[in-house]
Amino acid sequence: MNIVVCVKQVPDTESPRKLKSDDNTLDRAAADGVINELDEYAIEEALLLKEAHGGEVTVLTMGPDKATDSIRKALAMGADKAVHLVDDALAGSDALGTSYAIQQVLGRTGFDLVILGAESTDARTGMLAAMLAERLGVPQLSLANKVEIDGSSITVQRITDYGYDKVEASLPAVVSVVEKINEPRYPSFKGIMAAKKKPVEKLGVADAGIDADKVGLAGAATEVVDFADAPPREKGQIVTDEGDGGAKIAEFLASKKFV
Amino acid sequence: MSFIESEERRALRAAVAELGAKYGPSYYVAKAKAGEKTDELWNEAAALGYLGVNVPEEYGGGGGGIGDLAAVCEELAAAGCPLLLMVVSPAICATIIARSGTEGQKKHWLPRFADGSVKMAFAITEPDAGSNAHCITTQARRDGDGWVLSGQKTFISGVDEADAVLFVSRTEDQKGNLRPSLFIVPTDAPGFTWTPIEMEIVSPEKQFICHLDEVRLPYEALVGEEDGGLLQLFAGLNPERIMATAMGAGIGRLALDKAVSYARERQVFKVPIGAHQGLAHPLAAAKVELELARLMGQKAAWLYDSGDDMGAGEAANMAKYAAAEAAVHCVDQAIQTHGGNGLTTEYGVGMLAGVVRLMRIAPVSREMILNFVAQHSLGLPKSY
Ligand SMILES: Cc1cc2nc3c(=O)[nH]c(=O)nc-3n(C[C@H](O)[C@H](O)[C@H](O)COP(=O)(O)OP(=O)(O)OC[C@H]3O[C@@H](n4cnc5c(N)ncnc54)[C@H](O)[C@@H]3O)c2cc1C
Repeated sequence: MNIVVCVKQVPDTESPRKLKSDDNTLDRAAADGVINELDEYAIEEALLLKEAHGGEVTVLTMGPDKATDSIRKALAMGADKAVHLVDDALAGSDALGTSYAIQQVLGRTGFDLVILGAESTDARTGMLAAMLAERLGVPQLSLANKVEIDGSSITVQRITDYGYDKVEASLPAVVSVVEKINEPRYPSFKGIMAAKKKPVEKLGVADAGIDADKVGLAGAATEVVDFADAPPREKGQIVTDEGDGGAKIAEFLASKKFV
Repeated sequence: MSFIESEERRALRAAVAELGAKYGPSYYVAKAKAGEKTDELWNEAAALGYLGVNVPEEYGGGGGGIGDLAAVCEELAAAGCPLLLMVVSPAICATIIARSGTEGQKKHWLPRFADGSVKMAFAITEPDAGSNAHCITTQARRDGDGWVLSGQKTFISGVDEADAVLFVSRTEDQKGNLRPSLFIVPTDAPGFTWTPIEMEIVSPEKQFICHLDEVRLPYEALVGEEDGGLLQLFAGLNPERIMATAMGAGIGRLALDKAVSYARERQVFKVPIGAHQGLAHPLAAAKVELELARLMGQKAAWLYDSGDDMGAGEAANMAKYAAAEAAVHCVDQAIQTHGGNGLTTEYGVGMLAGVVRLMRIAPVSREMILNFVAQHSLGLPKSY
């Protein structure tokens, strides 16, 4: 099975994140880059599927040069090879442009299954999987917390507010995953040493047959027109226990859809 | 040589730091206070190959060097989980066996150091000899085709969780300056007993007085040559110093991190306390010391891994000295920066004081290192 995992490098959520004042895009140089958290779950799921069904896992990353660190980590976790789409022309792409660019690369790599994290911690649009599936003309199975493959059919548990849906489709398909799906492994020392020798193909927009007018800030269909700092955190709600503390906490959790 | 670590070394640090963060200081302290061991962390790090990075590949290890093992040790310490037995088991014992062991000993032990399934303590210190290892009296007597070992050791770390202990002793007719013979003694060997020493250090690893009362050992318990000389011992002691450097550097980083984030937030006059030079400069000075010690540690590891034992000896001693001093200064200033909170349990700074203070004493004291530098690096006469 040919599994492609889309891996995005995002600014570390531990460090302060900033937008650039000149073009309102994310300042990627300002913070350390790490693998988008949900993408680690996507990598883990790809590796588990490979271990169960055989095949090959390819990491697909669109991002600046320094995204190499994240690619190496994915390879150290156990992916077989990587494609790194890197080109200044891509900077500032929106979800539409990104999905187009990734579609073009997938046209080269081929795929039976594309796995993505359900959203990224920086942009948080959560749209890429749907756009990609639409562009590729294959089924999308979103928000999966369990994936099973049987021959050429795929079944996932899709989390919902009330429990989960069971969704079935035929391969090839696009799956987006949530953090309940597994526990991502740490790269082993042998994995780290082996990663150095694994192939990483670097592609520019021209190599991938991408129309430069459709990507980047200029090609974006959406625009960030303004931004402001997040408001300071509000005071929490204090529940005094008058014998009904448990019920009140349950009520609060339910109102926020935590339970 | 480059002053920037390789991509793989940095990736290893990042991976270990992430694992360490999953456990963190609260895990470590809870285990220490409950009298339990950090088995979960040890086992998980072991399964990822982090504890066997320096074991040769043909025996299932990572095939890396002491520099890699030191990176693991430093990152775990910086995450609040200094694993003392890393200094002893994979660094000293595995190195000595890999260098001087027979093929049989290597086949038996090294794969188990590689996957961390075995722990081996290391015993050189004796109550009467102390820093003067030449005066140790633990004695091995030949008996038929085996050995009989008798003597006493003190401050031996981790005996209660070890499968075996590597004892430094001398043979019965070896007098004068030490030509050590090294023996592997299983912790269940008849005649081998130990008693814990109560210590004022917050640590899951405990120290023990070991008694060897006519312990019978097979011939293969001897590692390396009989009266093998100091070189086969030093093969393990340089890594020990490099690891002690890493542990000191890691704890120093932890203390400094805590101090800096506190100094940025805490405000009692109009500005964060970190803006006062009275606090900022000592923290900056501690940072300088720390980075210099780390650099010397990396030099020592590099020399050792490239096979220069003699060159590594001087660098490893200097690095260990510098790291202990830096760690003490980092922790002391971190406590000062925290004010009263510096001595609370909650902030986790005060409890580091005992651990870093130890680094000035063990595995080799600050004074013995200065003696070494005075004599060997400066050519001054010996006083003892
Ligand atoms: C927590 C802990 C864990 C340990 N773990 C182990 C272990 O696993 N295995 C093991 O073998 N040992 C272990 N040790 C022992 C440790 O290595 C010794 O404590 C250390 O080497 C110092 O020896 P000593 O305690 O006998 O001090 P002493 O040798 O009695 O020294 C006392 C003081 O005198 C100074 N001094 C001695 N001679 C001179 C001199 N010539 N010039 C100047 N000053 C001098 C010393 O520097 C020191 O300050 C451990 C110790 C501790 C505290």
